[in-house]
Amino acid sequence: MAELHVIGQLVGASGFPQRRLFCKWGLHAGSAWKLLEGLREGQTQVDDPQAGDMAYWCHPIDVHYATKGLQGWPKLHLEVWHQDSLGRSELLGYGFCHVPSTPGCHALTCVTWRPRGTWGERLSRFWLGGGPQLLAPDPAYAADRFRLRTEAAGTVRLQLGLILRHFERYGVQC
Amino acid sequence: MAERLWGAEAGGAVYRSRDPVRNLRLRVRIQRVTAAGPLPAQASPPPPPLSAPRGPELLALAARASPDARRPPDEEEEAEVGWQEKLFSQFEVDLYQNESACQTHLDRQYHKEILKLEKAGGRKNYRIFTYIDHDQFTNLEEHCQKVTDSDHEVPSYLAERMANVRRRRQDRKPIEANSLKSKIITWEPSEEFIKNNHVINTPVQTMYIMGDLGPYGKLGQREYERVLCTIKVDGNGVITVKPDFTGTKGAYWIELDRQKRDLWKYTIENASIQVQQEEEEREQRVFRDLYSRHKEYLSGLVGSEFEMTLPGTLRLFVNGEVVSAQGYEYDNLYVHFFLELPDHWSSPAFQQLSGVTQTCATKTEDWDNVAYFCYPFTLEMFFSQENESEDCLPQWPVLYFEVLSLDFWQRYRVEGYGSLVLPASPGLHILTIPTWRPVELGTVAELRRFFIGGSPELEDMTYVRIPATFKGERLSRFGFHTETTGSVTFRLYCLQQSKAFLETSASRHRMQSVLDRLGGFSQQSSVYNVLEAFQKARCRMQEARESLPQDLISSSFYTVHQTQEP
Repeated sequence: MAELHVIGQLVGASGFPQRRLFCKWGLHAGSAWKLLEGLREGQTQVDDPQAGDMAYWCHPIDVHYATKGLQGWPKLHLEVWHQDSLGRSELLGYGFCHVPSTPGCHALTCVTWRPRGTWGERLSRFWLGGGPQLLAPDPAYAADRFRLRTEAAGTVRLQLGLILRHFERYGVQC
Repeated sequence: MAERLWGAEAGGAVYRSRDPVRNLRLRVRIQRVTAAGPLPAQASPPPPPLSAPRGPELLALAARASPDARRPPDEEEEAEVGWQEKLFSQFEVDLYQNESACQTHLDRQYHKEILKLEKAGGRKNYRIFTYIDHDQFTNLEEHCQKVTDSDHEVPSYLAERMANVRRRRQDRKPIEANSLKSKIITWEPSEEFIKNNHVINTPVQTMYIMGDLGPYGKLGQREYERVLCTIKVDGNGVITVKPDFTGTKGAYWIELDRQKRDLWKYTIENASIQVQQEEEEREQRVFRDLYSRHKEYLSGLVGSEFEMTLPGTLRLFVNGEVVSAQGYEYDNLYVHFFLELPDHWSSPAFQQLSGVTQTCATKTEDWDNVAYFCYPFTLEMFFSQENESEDCLPQWPVLYFEVLSLDFWQRYRVEGYGSLVLPASPGLHILTIPTWRPVELGTVAELRRFFIGGSPELEDMTYVRIPATFKGERLSRFGFHTETTGSVTFRLYCLQQSKAFLETSASRHRMQSVLDRLGGFSQQSSVYNVLEAFQKARCRMQEARESLPQDLISSSFYTVHQTQEP
């Protein structure tokens, strides 16, 4: 059994067309992995940047995994949402990334995209907001992504510190 | 008991302890070095100190042990002080003796205690006394503390606030969890709330060990009182001792700036009762028990085994992502990639070795059109070399990819081809691979690409590197026209697993390449083996030569020298 600590934070997001952003995040690991401590998913506050483009959340991530194998290394999925002045929430981007496997501190950027609807949907999105969303927004969905038509959205920044334990005992170099 | 964290030269030191603070005891010893009159006779050689010599001042301290009849009895004093133990000064005794001077409850209590002391036969301390947390002095001292040498220094706003809070609430109840849940923000903070939250409010208890350094027979004058030691303890077990316990540094000195220029020195020692051997052992045992039980619990949850590779195989595990594609001519890009495994490589049956990302419309960022994919994939493969005598270097798996665009009329255009060799070293690799696409010469072809779509494509994508079908000696691409297009960014986390790493990492430090570590089948290692054997043999020969009798060596010197030369 080897252990993995992921300690860090969701720093913020930039490059999105709107301000007032929040983020839902979740960690997804394979069946060999067991979450010992910490929260697997969460949602940040709504942040409205007053100057500049970057919204800061500084949302903590602190999980402790134990694993029986490398298969199914934890992945992080992110959803960036926008809350407008009427209190409606609108999806701005999906992002998926692997949790790093090297110990140490990592400054990650995770790019995001959002589903692109038809011409009419895009027009209504422009005026009214909203737009299509994924039915099952989890990393497993990555397998058949070719059905999707998307457009590039902003980037999310993360800082993750990784602590690995006992991996070298099983001859794993990372 | 306590573990030293840091300390300044002669300033305070910070200790941490989990033990209850009431066990803290200090021993303070004060001694006058120069008396008001002529120097006390110290010419006679001092007896050797009991402990190891620590410095010239300590020698003088040891001299105190010699009986010196001429010195008044209060020239030196030693006191052992417990945490928040009140030792009265002469001044306080005089003050609190008559009940009319007592105003507060504390004063009256002191009055009673002093009376009790008088009945018991007077107090034992003369020069050393203490101010404890409840004394007026503690408040004043904290409030009037100066940090600069300015004459007009006014306490800062924050200092005022801190002093007002009087961080003493030792028995503060922790905030209830449910109240936290119901209210995240206090919209209308009360005065008290602000007071408590805007400054540090860790409860701190203070105690001063003081010295009454007045001239002999004239004790109890306030202007001769000096702080010998300040001890602060907060609710988290942090003990600040200022100045630090006198260890190797030697005693502290106090010079009274009077006409008489008295010089005093004093030492502070930690006299807390040390924990018993068996108690400590018991504590250790309890901790060990706890840890082992926790370990059992973990292995009960997860299981203690870990998937291992077969001996002699290397497992390469890649957590990869297609991050983005940038700088392409057309919009709506997607990436198609596949992995080529060379000889001796295999992958598990369920492993998918190819992938297609979604189609992504680009956006402009820094004058570049970027498409974001963040398409995570996992590749797992095994390398095993059955025949060790094979002298060809093993090949590493290659990832081939092509970028395609899909336009409004659902027409495909090839935007670029590229490839990357999976990194041979473990860790994070961010690779931005430039791509090219084949072009047909002539305007017609370009026009066709623009209006109708479709463009020349490679029949075999391995042509990006050396084609799989290629057998000759030289690969010629003469006559093949390409055009530079954009680039694709990959992020790869590589993990390697092998039993060979277990053996080598323990005995030898990290070596350069994976092949060396796998060991056994590279030519290099065999050369190393020969060199190592040669070194060993040479050492043996030298040892044998040294053990020979001297005359034998001198006679056979020439021959030995000769043999050593090559």
